[in-house]
Amino acid sequence: MAYLDPYTVPLTANKAAHLLRRATMGPTRSEIAAFTGLNPGTAVDQLFANVSYTASPPPPVDYAPTSPYYMQPFTAFPFVSSRSGELSVYLRYWWVGVMMLQNNKPSVLEKLTAFWQNHFVVSQNVMADYRYMYRYLKFLRDNSLGNFKTMTIGITKDPAMLIFQNGHGNNKDHPNENYARELQELFTVGQQDYYGNPNYTEEDVKAASKVLTGWMVTNYYANGTTDFTSNFHRNYHDTSNKTFSAKYGGITIQGRSDDTAGDVEMNELVDMLLRHPETPKHICRKLYRWYVNQNVTQDIENNVIIPLAAFFASPENNYNIKPVLEKLLKSEIFFSDQNIGAIIKSPMEYLLGMGRYFEFPCPDMMTDTAAYINYIRFFLWGMGGMNLEILTQPLVFGYPPYYQVGYSKNWINGSTITARRGNSDTIIFPSQVVKPGYVLGIDFLAWIQKIQPNFADTNTQAITPDEVLAAFSKNLFAIDLSDAQKTYLIDVVFMNNLPRIEWRYELNAYRSNPASTTAANAVKNRCSNLMRYMIRMAEYEVF
Amino acid sequence: MALPVMVNGFGITSLSNRSSLVRSLMGTAAAATDRILVIIYLNGGNDGLNTVIPLQYYSKYQSIRTNIAIPQNKVLTLSGMAEAGLHPSMTGMRDMYNQGRLAIVNSVSYPNPNQSHHRSSDIWMTATDANQYANSGWAGRYLDNRFPGYPQNYPNDTMKDPLALQIGVLNSTSLLGPQSPMNISVENVNNFYALLNGGQGLASSDLPCCEAGEMIKHVRQQQLLSTGYSGQIKRAYDAGSTKATYPTAGTTTELSEQLKIVARLIHGGLQTKIYFVELGGFDTHGDQVTASDTTVGTHANLLKKLSEAVSSFQNDLVLQGTADRVIGMTFSDFGRRANSNASRGTDHGVAAPMFVFGTGIKRQMVGVVPDLNNDLEPPTTSPTNENQEIKMQVDFRRIYSDILRDWFGAQSTVTDSLLFKNFKTTSLFSNVIETTASGAWPDRSIWSAGRPPGVGDYVRVNPGHVVAVGQNITVRNIEVEGGGELNILGNYTINTTG
Repeated sequence: MAYLDPYTVPLTANKAAHLLRRATMGPTRSEIAAFTGLNPGTAVDQLFANVSYTASPPPPVDYAPTSPYYMQPFTAFPFVSSRSGELSVYLRYWWVGVMMLQNNKPSVLEKLTAFWQNHFVVSQNVMADYRYMYRYLKFLRDNSLGNFKTMTIGITKDPAMLIFQNGHGNNKDHPNENYARELQELFTVGQQDYYGNPNYTEEDVKAASKVLTGWMVTNYYANGTTDFTSNFHRNYHDTSNKTFSAKYGGITIQGRSDDTAGDVEMNELVDMLLRHPETPKHICRKLYRWYVNQNVTQDIENNVIIPLAAFFASPENNYNIKPVLEKLLKSEIFFSDQNIGAIIKSPMEYLLGMGRYFEFPCPDMMTDTAAYINYIRFFLWGMGGMNLEILTQPLVFGYPPYYQVGYSKNWINGSTITARRGNSDTIIFPSQVVKPGYVLGIDFLAWIQKIQPNFADTNTQAITPDEVLAAFSKNLFAIDLSDAQKTYLIDVVFMNNLPRIEWRYELNAYRSNPASTTAANAVKNRCSNLMRYMIRMAEYEVF
Repeated sequence: MALPVMVNGFGITSLSNRSSLVRSLMGTAAAATDRILVIIYLNGGNDGLNTVIPLQYYSKYQSIRTNIAIPQNKVLTLSGMAEAGLHPSMTGMRDMYNQGRLAIVNSVSYPNPNQSHHRSSDIWMTATDANQYANSGWAGRYLDNRFPGYPQNYPNDTMKDPLALQIGVLNSTSLLGPQSPMNISVENVNNFYALLNGGQGLASSDLPCCEAGEMIKHVRQQQLLSTGYSGQIKRAYDAGSTKATYPTAGTTTELSEQLKIVARLIHGGLQTKIYFVELGGFDTHGDQVTASDTTVGTHANLLKKLSEAVSSFQNDLVLQGTADRVIGMTFSDFGRRANSNASRGTDHGVAAPMFVFGTGIKRQMVGVVPDLNNDLEPPTTSPTNENQEIKMQVDFRRIYSDILRDWFGAQSTVTDSLLFKNFKTTSLFSNVIETTASGAWPDRSIWSAGRPPGVGDYVRVNPGHVVAVGQNITVRNIEVEGGGELNILGNYTINTTG
């Protein structure tokens, strides 16, 4: 196989859906239709071009109607520590809202931002200042398609990261190695190479921590303050020369003592980290696991990771992120059949993907705020019950299913299965009121009315159970169901072992008398049973 | 409180607590807490007239369903019950009847019957009036009442096991409680065995290749292992054993395999109160019999599966020594039309027999076989309507009421509230037939069992009821409650055999 060569076959619905499922927070059905038939390169280009539509959404605001700062951005009013928990959650509301926006302009932005947030992790488990957290998230979002060096430097002196990984407390007299370690182990070179050889030494951790001494933050969690920043204090900086191991070519970063020492030394440090041959591989492997397949075989290492990494770090690309992701998403390997359905959905892909697939519109944050909150809460707390609270990684390593043995299999256990089923049942048996006239969930009767030609005229033959299944399962699954599965879904699940002709009687009874509860329920219950079963199938859990 | 009464010179014994009547009455109320109900859903609407054939009206039966009628000489006759016979494929259940372990409840339905599968099965499962809706099932409401706080407060020291267990694809509404399903479900027999094996042995032939297949397999295993109470279920299964012979490999069916599992769990001590199993395929609009032989075909196969499965199960319970704790019942969406259609099938109808089985039953015939000459609706056919329905004799909720009150021992007031109103007993679990109205002794409609008392019955005339006796009578005993009356119309004798 040609691996990174561009895939050039016009997209089938299946491949279009694959691209959208992996590159975005999940496709709407109309997006799948719009992408079907496109040249893969054109389709991917659109996903990047569409970033501009949502690059600058309105910032998160105080959503509490009783607050004096109601609907004001976080930075427009003095910090309120007593409300830090509440406002921290509001930041999650905001991000989920951005993820759920359905503007028919699918883009890579939120999925990629989520990638970086799970890479350069700052967790609200520790980060209690909502202003810091928003600044951190906005930085990642603004730079997610930019340059990896810019991003690494920016995150290294990001106020939230300085707090989260103790850089704020790292000074010449009391070095704190925490960030220096994670910068290498997680953010750049990686702990070890593909074959298990360590990529740096403990001495390198110590040396890097010295380079990073002297950075501090202002007004963290300080009541009544209206601004904050990070800055460099040369008095706390270790001015000695820092020599690194042979892993980095034995390089020495010269110690400096002036006000620019922090930036200059950090720049040299990051340049050194990015010259390490394992850094681009580490990042490309992580991108491959996020977008393509979590199983990086020797074959994939040789034919995808190494060449992609070489391109990432090459002089002509110079660590720009966008061209690398474009190359990966346009590649033969990305569209390979064996990679479709190869990952178990995270709660984001499961629940946000479900909400987007069924096209439940997200109310406008600024003009329909109460409805917006009701809507967001379902998705946010639903994900929490399935073991993913956004912005709240348990550790700096990220969510365990992205690094632990078994990878995405770790999303699935007895309690998360129950939670997934509970969430999908809420959508199949709608009960969550978003606002008057808007109940979150699938309106099966409306769906049937839409797919039944000449619904009101029973002279037009009733659609068959096969046609209902075809409509309901269209692009619902990443992989095609077998004929045996389809037969089972129709005869056992949909028809509940009754002859298929009974469906026509029931549907026609409903068409003749749509006001009859009995007739409507007969149709609705078959439909909800079918959808409930399909969404509970293991096949729905992969993407 | 019984009072001594004198009727036309006969002394009717006043009953003390020592009387066998009183003892038998007390026996029904003191239901043991370890009793079990097995519900068998015959999905699709079973054709009652070809299941229990009304031999008493055979010629009419033959004439309204000529193309599917079972030949009279093929019908399985029942010991001491000349009016009815069973379909020739039901030898196992015939034997159960003859051993006293099978009851036939005739012409069961509900007022204002609905002929939609969906609505009618919903009515049966929710136990509402035909024009009412409920969001819970009758058995689910019972379990919710008996085990308050489920599922949050369970398992606990007094109930470690699932309240109800269903083997089937779709959760039955019957077991739906006011807030949540009261049952644990396993999709099919194969999944059940895979559950016992820690998730190993699930079907894998339909898995796609590569990682996708591996992921799907993993999810399926985890889904199965997330089945509630799986440890308790496995413990009981391992502790129990199968004592009877079930249909052999090749002729096993999903139902026989399901009931085999249920028997083993019961033997293994699982405290589950209600099991729900299902046999589908009863919607026999066409070709329910073959053209050449009406005793074979789709319906015959279904009844054979039912009969073999139920009789093997019952034998197993007897051999295990658990039979006294278990009863089973069948139900279906509705019965089918009295007359057959031109496709050698039957269309949706109204009333049909239910079966109740086990050693706990106290009578074997509730109601009478449908009187095809007088009890069809409409009474006569016309060129524009050749269809006739079988009229209801017994509201299905009377059986539910008897099961809840007399089998499970729920208080009468509780039973009434679970079923939304009071339903008169059918005396299914009592050897006392009581009056439900005034009338002449031979009038079946005044008796709880839907038929006049026979020699084996105790009789109670309830307050306010006057029963006119114009014949000699032999029964075990008669109790006339205060305000009740036996009006002997002439020189007739009432023999009580005690």
